[in-house]
Amino acid sequence: MESIEEQLYQNSTASPDKIALISGEAQVSYNQLWDYCLIAAYNLKSKYNLQKGDRVILSAAGNIEFVYVYFGVHLAGGICVPIDPDTNETRFGYIAESTKPVCIMGALHKVECETIPFEDAISGTDKADFHLLDMGQVADILFTTGTTGAPKGVALSFRNLQAAALNINIFIQNTADDIELLALPVSHSFGLGRVRCVLSKGGTLVMLGTFANMKKFFGEMKRCNVTGFGMVPASWGFIKKMSGKYIAKFAGQLKYIEIGSSFMPTADKELLMELLPNTRICMHYGSTEASRSAFMEFHSSNNDLLTAGRTSPNCEIKIFSPEGKEVPLGTEGEICVKGDHVTCSYWNETPERFASDFYNGYFRTGDCAIMDERGYIYLKSRIKEMINVGGKKVAPMEVEDILNTIPGVKESACIGVPDSEGVFGEVVKAFIVADESVTDEEILNQLKPNLEVYKLPVAFKRIAEIPKTSSGKIQRLSLKK
Amino acid sequence: MEKSEIQSKVFEIVAGVCETTPDQINDNTTIGDFPQWDSVGQLTILSSVEEAFEINFEPEEMMEIEDVKDIVNAVEVKL
Repeated sequence: MESIEEQLYQNSTASPDKIALISGEAQVSYNQLWDYCLIAAYNLKSKYNLQKGDRVILSAAGNIEFVYVYFGVHLAGGICVPIDPDTNETRFGYIAESTKPVCIMGALHKVECETIPFEDAISGTDKADFHLLDMGQVADILFTTGTTGAPKGVALSFRNLQAAALNINIFIQNTADDIELLALPVSHSFGLGRVRCVLSKGGTLVMLGTFANMKKFFGEMKRCNVTGFGMVPASWGFIKKMSGKYIAKFAGQLKYIEIGSSFMPTADKELLMELLPNTRICMHYGSTEASRSAFMEFHSSNNDLLTAGRTSPNCEIKIFSPEGKEVPLGTEGEICVKGDHVTCSYWNETPERFASDFYNGYFRTGDCAIMDERGYIYLKSRIKEMINVGGKKVAPMEVEDILNTIPGVKESACIGVPDSEGVFGEVVKAFIVADESVTDEEILNQLKPNLEVYKLPVAFKRIAEIPKTSSGKIQRLSLKK
Repeated sequence: MEKSEIQSKVFEIVAGVCETTPDQINDNTTIGDFPQWDSVGQLTILSSVEEAFEINFEPEEMMEIEDVKDIVNAVEVKL
């Protein structure tokens, strides 16, 4: 078993001139990529005194320099904490306090703190020596959007990252000939995972960074002869709205698409299959803690499009009862996952607490499902209450906390409801207990300065009281019924 | 409608979505110049423009729009 970094090194010696990264006019070969990663590792150790196990917060902007520094931190023995460049002050404060980084690299747009430009980390020509990495060591910490508002640091070891990339590449059938367009954010498990999948295999990554510019998206697809890309269901809603059936023009060259796990209407799946009849369209089921535990390829599972697919290569999935006992096939229970890709720990949590996330060695995902006799998984409900607006996660409590400060609003609870426009997947709906004197419009106007646009409720419903458990916890799922 | 009138209305819409003032917007302001002008921002801008000018864009037309100038030109063609 070799780390992603060791595979990068092998690619740089076996095919030094092969193009690894493309960004606009810039092209970087595997040889250059490896050199820059080693230069970054040298600088991190010598200039910033990075020691084994130290954390570095990285602004995951999706540019070439980010890739150099990301692998450079690993090669220097450090732990990467990639965050969205638009992370707000509160979330950043929590992450910084939790990880106590030795430095923060790359520009952050909404946080006032001292950051080091990526360029400084790759200046000079001195390179670190390459030593084999300890596969059990933590490589990355990815902070999820916690349902309670407090983010959770998911620690992933070098073994976790290597295993996930291997499993994904086996299922999707990636090869060194692949040229992938990367429009996903690399601050999340999905996008960053695509970087590791492509580069470990020796393919070429075209860094685009966003789906927002459809002209560029298709322009790069044509210019670079792209063979695949990753997207979330909301990206397909956007592509469809912005370009109709134009993607069919690339049916001959697109070998694969990987789709992230959130609700996707069957009609959308069928349209993609019709437009891309020869493309492997692979939808995954997974989480930051257990990346891509199941997969479904649309064409080969065309009678099972409503399922989350079957267990990924080298993974095991079992369904457990609330008592922690495996249930018979066809019985509803919690999806639990085993494999080298499953998170090695949560940052700053005790091993005892972490152990409670497992049943008999199987990680508890918090999702309810039934597995049939062929191994297909039918998702029943998400125990977790996160709202997914166009691929962006919204914690209900973040919206509720602000709602509850508005004069006239006594209490509130937010849930995700299907977007009637069919573009964002889900949108936020707020249930409020409020005085009649305050209108929905007034409430919305008071929310606007405090929340990003996608977090704003699109609908309000006034109710007499918020449903709660006997211990006072809001029962958001009951509001969905 | 005069082009300058279209322009100022478009500037206003884009500024609103990008959470800034119209004087920070010019013809060349493009997707990604403001973090708010991402895919969700692009959808919001185009649907607001459709509503404001009472027009409808076809997908092929929307695909070609990447900056403020493109929006103004697309509106002008429709009116």
